[in-house]
Amino acid sequence: MSYKPELTGRWWLKHGHFKRYMLREATVIPLVFLLCSLLAGVFSLQDVERFSQWQAYMAHPLVIIGHTVALGAALYHAATFFVLFPRVMPIRIANYTLPARLMVAGQWAAVLAVALLCLWLVTGGRV
Amino acid sequence: MTQPRTCYVDISRYDPERGDQYPTMQRVQVPYDDSTSVLDVLQYVKEQVDSSLSYRWSCRMAICGSCGVMVNGIPKLGCKDFVRDYVAHKGVGRDHAANDAPALTIEPLAHFTGERDLVVNMDEFLTHLEAVKPYIIDPASRPNNPSAATHSQTPAQLARYQQFANCINCGLCYAACPQFGLNPEFVGPAAIALAHRYNLDSRDHGKHERMQVLNTHDGVWSCTFVGFCSDVCPKGVDPAAAVNQGKVESAKSMLIQLFKGSSIGDSRS
Ligand code: SF4
Ligand code: FES
Repeated sequence: MSYKPELTGRWWLKHGHFKRYMLREATVIPLVFLLCSLLAGVFSLQDVERFSQWQAYMAHPLVIIGHTVALGAALYHAATFFVLFPRVMPIRIANYTLPARLMVAGQWAAVLAVALLCLWLVTGGRV
Repeated sequence: MTQPRTCYVDISRYDPERGDQYPTMQRVQVPYDDSTSVLDVLQYVKEQVDSSLSYRWSCRMAICGSCGVMVNGIPKLGCKDFVRDYVAHKGVGRDHAANDAPALTIEPLAHFTGERDLVVNMDEFLTHLEAVKPYIIDPASRPNNPSAATHSQTPAQLARYQQFANCINCGLCYAACPQFGLNPEFVGPAAIALAHRYNLDSRDHGKHERMQVLNTHDGVWSCTFVGFCSDVCPKGVDPAAAVNQGKVESAKSMLIQLFKGSSIGDSRS
């Protein structure tokens, strides 16, 4: 005789570590919202009227809030993902292992570079 | 002489021979000082309160890996976990017997089948360990091969896998892993860490055999990188890193098999 404790669907409420994990997984929801907005933008390029409708949609306060949440979610996901990266793909050159801190810093530097490039593109090279 | 401090602990009790269907909690008052471990608490209870209490232990120094229990819901080695750390945040030096809220709740390791009190059945874990062939596989070094050379290894070659070789098979990582809790067929953190340890060993030639197990859905791909296994590991093995390095290896090995045209199926059966 023995007993087997069953895990219920609410297992992730048991403690902080699991809740933070679920938060990381949930970052996909606001990102899907952002993606849909962007896709709608692409389709609206077909005619001028639809494009101006899309612009009005993008300027709606609720949509701006949603996209700000998406930015926060993306940064949170990146922060958690970047620290995992050196553990999953440690870089070894001969007998030397690249320190994890350096790899994390490198990834943030890449984020910064891409952000600056985008800024430069949208401002038409004026910054 | 000052009176010893005491606190309350709740211990999960389950005795099928007494006809128990499910575990129940037993509250006991125990003395403690700064050096009292959770295992000391259990030993006090067995010797002074209730000799029928069952739990596993041996080395008392975090080496044998047999004393794993859940303490306040977190997998811990009883001999490496101290009462002082639980009472401390409720007010150092205060006598906790004054209010009988338990400072500690001690339960058997989660996700395993309970056999009696704090003793669980580790068979599932051992089956997974066996499945990954956690030993050096080298066809050239069979005993009847007179030309077999001795294995030498440089410190650099050792450094590649040493971290993953520190596992003491305590099973705490399985009690921390919700994927194992939901699907006991999942090979799980420690077994995959051990497979990875041998795959990284310069003396080993068994990687292909182990990848057959790791490549399956119940192998590395059941892991969603919750990462709690690495937090609870008492030996700093970082099994989550091993599992996810295993995903990279698995992706490579599946690609190679794809190009070779052989099937990627489960060869365990
Ligand atoms: S990996 Fe760590 S937690 Fe898991 S069995 Fe080994 S020593 Fe225990
Ligand atoms: S008694 Fe051996 S690890 Fe705790």
